[in-house]
Amino acid sequence: MPVFVAVILCVLAIAGTAEAGDAAEAVRILSQNCSSCHGQAKVAGLDVRTREGLLEGGKRGPSIVPGSARGSLLVAAVRHEGDLRMPMQGDRLPAEEAETLAAWIDAGAKWPESLTGAAAEAWWSFRPVSRPEVPSHGDGWARGPLDRFIARAHAERGLRPVAEASRRAWIRRATYDLHGLPPTPEQVEAFVGDGSPDAFEKVVERLLQSERYGERWGRYWLDWVRYADSGGFETDIYFPDAWRYRDYVIKSFNDDKPFDRFVREQVAADQIWPDDIELRSSYDIPEEKQRHLEARIGTGLYTVGTVYHEAALNGHQLRYEWLVDSVDVTGDAFLGLTVRCARCHDHKFDPISQRDYHRMMALFEGSEIKRIPVVHKMSEFGYYSAYPKQLKVFEYQQALKSLESRARNRLIDEIAAGFDAEIVAAYRTPKPKRTVSQQVKAAVLERALTEAGLLENPGGYSADLPYTPEERDRRKTLVAELGEAAAGARFELPSATVLGPAEVNYPVRMTDRGDWRPAGEMVSPGVPATLGEVAVESGKGRREALAEWLADPAHPLVARVMVNRVWQGHFGRGIVGTPNNFGRQGDLPSHPELLDWLASEFVERGWSIKEMHRLMMLSSTYRLASDSEPSSAAKDPENRFLWRMNRRRLDAESLRDAVLAVSGTLNLKMGGRPVMPPLSEEERLGMWDRSDWPESMDPSEHGRRSVYIFSKRQFPYPMFKTFDAPDPATSCGRRAVTTVAPQALTLLNSEFMLDSARALAKRLSGPEEPAAKVRLAWQLALSRPPDPEETENAVEMLAQAGTEEFSLMLLNLNEFVYLD
Amino acid sequence: MLCGQRSAPSSRREFLEKAGLGFGGLAASCLLASDARAASRRDPFAPQSPPLPAKAKSVIFLFMHGGPSHLDTFDPKPLLQKYDGEPVPDSFRNRDFQFTKMDKVPLLGTPRTFRRHGESGLEISDLFKNVARHADDLAVIRSCHHDGFTHITGQNWMNTGWAQVGRPSLGSWVVYGLGSESQELPGYVVMLDGGIKSGSPAYGSGFLPAMYQGTVLRSEGPPILNIRRAKPAEPERRRLLMEKLDWFNRNHLRARSEDSQLEARMNAYELAFRMQVSAPEVVDLSSESETTRAMYGLDEAVTRPFGKQCLLARRMVERGVRFIQLYSGASQNGASPGWDGHNQIDYNHETMAAQVDRPVAGLLSDLKGRGLLDETLVIWGGDFGRTPFTDGAEGGARNNAGRDHNPYGFTVWMAGGGVRGGKAIGSTDEIGLNALENKVHVHDLHATILTLLGLEHENLTYPFQGREFRLTDVGGHNNLAAALTAA
Repeated sequence: MPVFVAVILCVLAIAGTAEAGDAAEAVRILSQNCSSCHGQAKVAGLDVRTREGLLEGGKRGPSIVPGSARGSLLVAAVRHEGDLRMPMQGDRLPAEEAETLAAWIDAGAKWPESLTGAAAEAWWSFRPVSRPEVPSHGDGWARGPLDRFIARAHAERGLRPVAEASRRAWIRRATYDLHGLPPTPEQVEAFVGDGSPDAFEKVVERLLQSERYGERWGRYWLDWVRYADSGGFETDIYFPDAWRYRDYVIKSFNDDKPFDRFVREQVAADQIWPDDIELRSSYDIPEEKQRHLEARIGTGLYTVGTVYHEAALNGHQLRYEWLVDSVDVTGDAFLGLTVRCARCHDHKFDPISQRDYHRMMALFEGSEIKRIPVVHKMSEFGYYSAYPKQLKVFEYQQALKSLESRARNRLIDEIAAGFDAEIVAAYRTPKPKRTVSQQVKAAVLERALTEAGLLENPGGYSADLPYTPEERDRRKTLVAELGEAAAGARFELPSATVLGPAEVNYPVRMTDRGDWRPAGEMVSPGVPATLGEVAVESGKGRREALAEWLADPAHPLVARVMVNRVWQGHFGRGIVGTPNNFGRQGDLPSHPELLDWLASEFVERGWSIKEMHRLMMLSSTYRLASDSEPSSAAKDPENRFLWRMNRRRLDAESLRDAVLAVSGTLNLKMGGRPVMPPLSEEERLGMWDRSDWPESMDPSEHGRRSVYIFSKRQFPYPMFKTFDAPDPATSCGRRAVTTVAPQALTLLNSEFMLDSARALAKRLSGPEEPAAKVRLAWQLALSRPPDPEETENAVEMLAQAGTEEFSLMLLNLNEFVYLD
Repeated sequence: MLCGQRSAPSSRREFLEKAGLGFGGLAASCLLASDARAASRRDPFAPQSPPLPAKAKSVIFLFMHGGPSHLDTFDPKPLLQKYDGEPVPDSFRNRDFQFTKMDKVPLLGTPRTFRRHGESGLEISDLFKNVARHADDLAVIRSCHHDGFTHITGQNWMNTGWAQVGRPSLGSWVVYGLGSESQELPGYVVMLDGGIKSGSPAYGSGFLPAMYQGTVLRSEGPPILNIRRAKPAEPERRRLLMEKLDWFNRNHLRARSEDSQLEARMNAYELAFRMQVSAPEVVDLSSESETTRAMYGLDEAVTRPFGKQCLLARRMVERGVRFIQLYSGASQNGASPGWDGHNQIDYNHETMAAQVDRPVAGLLSDLKGRGLLDETLVIWGGDFGRTPFTDGAEGGARNNAGRDHNPYGFTVWMAGGGVRGGKAIGSTDEIGLNALENKVHVHDLHATILTLLGLEHENLTYPFQGREFRLTDVGGHNNLAAALTAA
């Protein structure tokens, strides 16, 4: 059985005095070399993870005597001075590491401050959100409080904000930011020509009211919660209802569902709004019940993680892996903390103990994944009334199977005729009843059957069955009739996969170093003490308590983490650069007070995410051009303090959607089952079973937005993978952006791009004048008219290479792929 | 970012001509101009000199998909022969298997014949009689183990050093650590003419940047995804496209000259052009002599597919590709089990070994003949080994003289890359179930491979989710590099 051994590798990077450095180094040495035995396992009674543990020591007495390396057993052991030589396995410690430990003990063996309790509680992100005073900086530039925080950072560092972006650059930026699509030429021109004082506000409002917004921001959310339509691993099971959760997310963003409500629904809708409403009639679902049902689909969050398939899997392990996934995604998405370290051992840097982790697991105790119908009772009855049509299908399948098995048996008999009666008798004995010697005998005949392809051989089951001509005809008829029957059958009862009460409750116990087998005492539900307390009361669901705790306006992390994500979506990088890690190993905020100000605004404005977009997008900061400027660039080359806008490459989904939009082939139909666009033969290569991607048959479906494309864990859509879409094994807070040759090959040569170029060429066939074609192309793809030199070059290309080639070139331009 | 030192103008000229671009128009001038700038910028793929003295420069990992039996190939067990058909002794009954309960199945001896080979007298079965000619080059590690007894976990362990998905693969770590010597080809290439059970995560980059992932190269048809246009265009139009693309990008760059990402992207297009020439060239075997082709078994239908992969591997090594992984037994339809001999393992392995024995032997001979073996580490292994007893699910689904998966003791061999052959390292118990002496965990294997490449496995780390990750996690203490390279 897999044992997921503790990972005790975390490397310290604590700045500070030399002494603090030594202490940190000493702890690192102990952690890396000793704590796998003398940690949680407490071999010989010793635990080196705390100063107290070392002072107390193990069987042989105290390990350290602060102030005296010479008198410390630890030093003698690592120097191999006495009979006790450590580490027991592996190499002896390098001399310098042993000396570091000795020097640290001589200096008093002080524990690094940052790892002790008081300091942990003082960690910035665990402190309550404060409402900072708005700075007075930025007169003449700032449009609101947000800008004043930014302006203060500029002033403190001698940075000068660059000029404003052009209106064209701004509307392109804003439209991609909120829709993941380019603005239409009409939208651009209307905005450029709009002299009214609220021209910018009008654009932001228009964008926020469009349903394209939910598709864009819903897609972000899906990254943060490791969404996929299949379970991964060998079986990669298909999640038939995952799309309902995806659509729920999109709708929630479009509705501007208050974020605290969004959190509550996903964590515990079933417990907060138990579904005990009587049906008024069987022909419709009462409104309130419908609302509860929709909210409950939010708990789908906990049903779309990886499913760790093991054929010999034990129910306990499956359940353990589900609890772990649930805790991890809660930590990543809502808390912005990597709690997963604590699955196997106490967190090395953040105040999360292994017990805390198990307490969080216990919050999900008593819950399990359920599949429930989402239609009114009469539809459900209709499904069962029509069930005999399905039985017809099964009948035909059965008839085909027996036909096949008759032919197979004839072939087997033929082969068996060449073998001894004893061997054949052994083979005829049902497998579980065979004696060991019969197994050996049967294997002789089975080898012959394997070679004939009647049993699995390296080519699969390759036998060509000897059907008689009558059987062959019969088979043909049956297949056709099966098709007819299937066409009339009704296979699906519309359902949702959600959380509900577990049939069998099984208490969470402590486990040992990540092994799923319960190894310790029962654990009560809770959260890390530093972060507060969940109020689990009898008569109240455990997840409900978790939801209330998370959605409490006083929670130090939830609002900060979310506004930081929104910020990242607009500026390319969060105020905290590690959106999933607000702990000690994460980045420190570049503008801590601004983050708190935004978090408090967020709560004050009813947890409205759209309000956050307004706040950010209508700022002077968001209006900055992306141009560089040498003096500021020298002081802040990474632009952490936003003296200009960051230039950003379109992400995988926006890129594909933009190509569809520009070429006029985008299908804006929303929601429903995952779409499976065609894959080339080359692309299918490497898929374990090619039938796992049943291509959507309606060609208009191939132009659906990217958020609706099948997210298959074992086979990510090739174009997305090439353009850095994350592996949905775990939450991804921020995508990597890489620039590699296969991206160029995709955009130059793939069927998708060539089809799109052809469609764009057709769209450009409207204007007759080449210069007019160029102008339209530029406006569609780049949201601006070409200058005369560009026109000249483009016209030349049109004449020599044709419109298709020109269109393909356009879709490959840096300017198309990057946002200023 | 990908322009560099190794491309002489003459090869550029050749490139432009071959690409049908002519030697004007787009012209070397602009490409060369970008070289000067590119050279000054940090290139994530630039070859790095390793921190330790390296024995090996490249790796060819021969992966037997499905899990080859060590008991029928490289780990002879006379006692198992003796007790063929007997119940499994009680003392061994402490393990979990995918389909088998140990008290329900008999021990299964091997029908193969083991002989001593070479000066070293290394024992190898007649399934690999051609490879056996290289006995003195092979270091056979008989005590490998991990705990993943399903294909996915086994393949994940072997490729990424972890049972669960999401970790970078060995090849990604190697290219991350060493960069690539090739300017025209990806640094990490995977050849699989079919699907593998663990899917792309087995050669994925996990949490490393996506550019370190393995690129799939096919031996038939267009070698790399999208390397050729789905619908071919006239060369003249293509030339114009590239020329204009470059002109407009340069025009766009003028006001944004400080932005290295824009230039990096232009350079990626340049590499893409080069790949369009060099990838078809690398898979074009017409320049290989009949003798060479025969050496790899290209003259026979049964050995041709894997032989072609092996020959391509050598050609890529010559061109500086860092890490090449070949799969034997990938599936076209989700049905062929490859080396997964649950049923009639002898027939299965006879069939599978016949496909790879000559090609692998040919690869070793050819590398040696060309003086490449010393700097090329060849690794042979699979998901795991197999059980010394028959495969038998409860209820008897499959006890047809097959063997179940066995991750607790199995064989991996290495040759070349500084490894001194003719030796067996470690051992399994009397029946070949568990690794016993000198146990070598996957982390140890990986540590060994990295060390042979000159990398320090404990220092090759990447920050993710709040901590530094490494391929060998907290393991790798039993590093065999010294033992393998010793005389």
